[in-house]
Amino acid sequence: MSGESILVKLQKIDRRYLYWILFIGLAIPFIRPIGLPIAVTPSTLSLYNELKTLQPGDVVLLNEAFGVGGIPECMPATAASTKIILRQGAKLIFVSPYVDYQILWARLQELVPDFAQKEYGKDYVFLGFYAGLEAAVAQLGANIRTVFPTDAYGTPLDQIEMMKNVNSARDIRLVLSGDTGDWCDYYIRQWHTNYGTPVGEIGIAMLGSSYMPHYRAGVLFGMSVGSRGGAEMEKLIGEPGSATVTMDSINVSHLLVIAAVILANIGMLSARGKGGK
Amino acid sequence: MAYPTDLFGLSGLWFQWLLLLMVYSYVLYKETPAYRFAEHLYIGITMAISLMVAIGNVTRIAIRPLMAGEVIYVIPLILGFAMYALLISEYRWVSRYPIAILVGAGFGLGMRGVLIPNLLSQVISTIRPPTGNAPIDWFTFVYVAIGTICAITYFLLTYEHTGALSYPTRIGRWIIMIGLGVYFANTVLFRMSMLAGRAQFFLQVLKIIPM
Amino acid sequence: MSSIFQRQVVYLVTAIIVAIMFIDFFFFETSTWIGEQVQTWGMVIYNIAMGLGAIRMMMSHGKVIQRRSTNWQYSGMLVGLFALTLITGLVGYASTGDPQSNSLYDWIFSNPYVSLDATFYAMTGFYIFSAAYRAFRARNIDAALLLMAGCIVLLTNAPIGEVIWNQIPIVGRWFLDYGQVPAMRTFMMVGAFGLLAYGLRALLGREKGYYGEVAGGK
Repeated sequence: MSGESILVKLQKIDRRYLYWILFIGLAIPFIRPIGLPIAVTPSTLSLYNELKTLQPGDVVLLNEAFGVGGIPECMPATAASTKIILRQGAKLIFVSPYVDYQILWARLQELVPDFAQKEYGKDYVFLGFYAGLEAAVAQLGANIRTVFPTDAYGTPLDQIEMMKNVNSARDIRLVLSGDTGDWCDYYIRQWHTNYGTPVGEIGIAMLGSSYMPHYRAGVLFGMSVGSRGGAEMEKLIGEPGSATVTMDSINVSHLLVIAAVILANIGMLSARGKGGK
Repeated sequence: MAYPTDLFGLSGLWFQWLLLLMVYSYVLYKETPAYRFAEHLYIGITMAISLMVAIGNVTRIAIRPLMAGEVIYVIPLILGFAMYALLISEYRWVSRYPIAILVGAGFGLGMRGVLIPNLLSQVISTIRPPTGNAPIDWFTFVYVAIGTICAITYFLLTYEHTGALSYPTRIGRWIIMIGLGVYFANTVLFRMSMLAGRAQFFLQVLKIIPM
Repeated sequence: MSSIFQRQVVYLVTAIIVAIMFIDFFFFETSTWIGEQVQTWGMVIYNIAMGLGAIRMMMSHGKVIQRRSTNWQYSGMLVGLFALTLITGLVGYASTGDPQSNSLYDWIFSNPYVSLDATFYAMTGFYIFSAAYRAFRARNIDAALLLMAGCIVLLTNAPIGEVIWNQIPIVGRWFLDYGQVPAMRTFMMVGAFGLLAYGLRALLGREKGYYGEVAGGK
């Protein structure tokens, strides 16, 4: 024990110290922001450019499949995309397969002041919650009214002005899926493959890896990856928001992780050099 | 979201803050009764909320159309409740029918949907040469094409990875490691964003930063 | 005879449903009535089955309370809170069609549920940090490649990478846009082949794991 170097001793540090360092390191940049510039990635730019091609009257389906836990990752890009959709004069249908859909809808309305200039039923509609995984997505594409006979407030779809000519995926210009798991896959398989509906993804960072082959193959028209994607979208629309603020915290956390990896490997090499494992 | 001023809102906000401390007491200190309380609270209310939403969904999709005269919805309702036969050991086999429908629909939808985007489009994208003449474009094309073939070879589990097969499988493993390294970095971004959100909330409730 | 209804007919139902989904997709321009019915039935069954999880949970915690096992008080609290949330939600639903019209349910939904969901979801951030410190060692070339790619992309995802060295984002972007594609594409394609193989087994009645059967046919 007394012959161990400081590096080897650091290997055995109580992990609770590490957790405290991380939590404090994440909190400090909110108090003292740094504000480094963010470069826009091609996948986010593609998403932005496609949304900018929307015409007045086009109908967009926004599938918010990320729950309250995913708000820091997905909500900034969703809010920025919603602003573009409404400003282009397109119409928005909001659906969600998560039980906290009402909180997501309320948060989106808080973050997008453009809703105040729009009329419910004419420019946007809140259909609410649906469950049934891929079967529900397939059925939604085939016949919206079998999944949503009414909107979330109980109004039959036939009585909602913007839904009168919207019956299936064929009547929808594009789908934006904000998700933490497989929902974009369902829309690709059941909407894009079946009806040719363009699908864009606003996903957590891990989905940036999972869906990159789809983006490269032209299956997805664009992709916003995690909170970084959210910060890029905020930059593109010229309205910095919560994702831009979070980037400083991301800087600190990423540097801490790299420092942890480097220290761990130096310690390992040091122990090996002294004949240890 | 503005800082609440009413008692209802304030009590909720501070209770949320306390729950955050209770949960993180597990990682930052040790397992405490407070953590156990928060854990059981979460499980109980989540299950109730999920059930509540499911009831609303079934009413909207099946029961209301049935009451309006669409008699066919009796069948999925009966099949759905047949799932509860799982709880009665001698009639457990009855639950296999709704499961058969779920499994069949799931496989049918998945299989028919996966052919073009997950297979055909990926193969086309792999073998399609670049449009530009820049050396990096061609390097990338060769890397992706050979990398994909070698990585797929790694998953040939019915053959031993020896002899001629040892070279592509070894390269395939390295390619997979690079991919997993990028996936790890994206996972760190995701997890840290979540945690940063909680750190931000912690400070906002204390009014150290604005809400 | 009864064993036919317990097994063979079940496999036949699965095969018929898979066949309906295929025919609906490959032979018809628009979705057929029967295809839509199968999809709708799937949704209804899925929603009704959510109650099964709640019942199982109540049974398991009920046993803990009955036997006064260790920490039974937490199980009691769980059952009580479940009942309180469900009852208040049903009261709101029965009166206006919206469970959140009940103020107690609304408070439970908007406060403890939201906070705990986000907090538990974020907890893994701590674990990934300690894993980076304790487990990510470059012991061999495979691990070294993983860590090298990971570190470069970490510095690309964080804007500070460009400040450290202005080439990091260029290299990192290549890894993100192309470097990971062969691996992710492979997982996607191999997963697709696996789904097709499993689906074929379901179509032919050879996939029995979903029905609680174990080796030996019981």
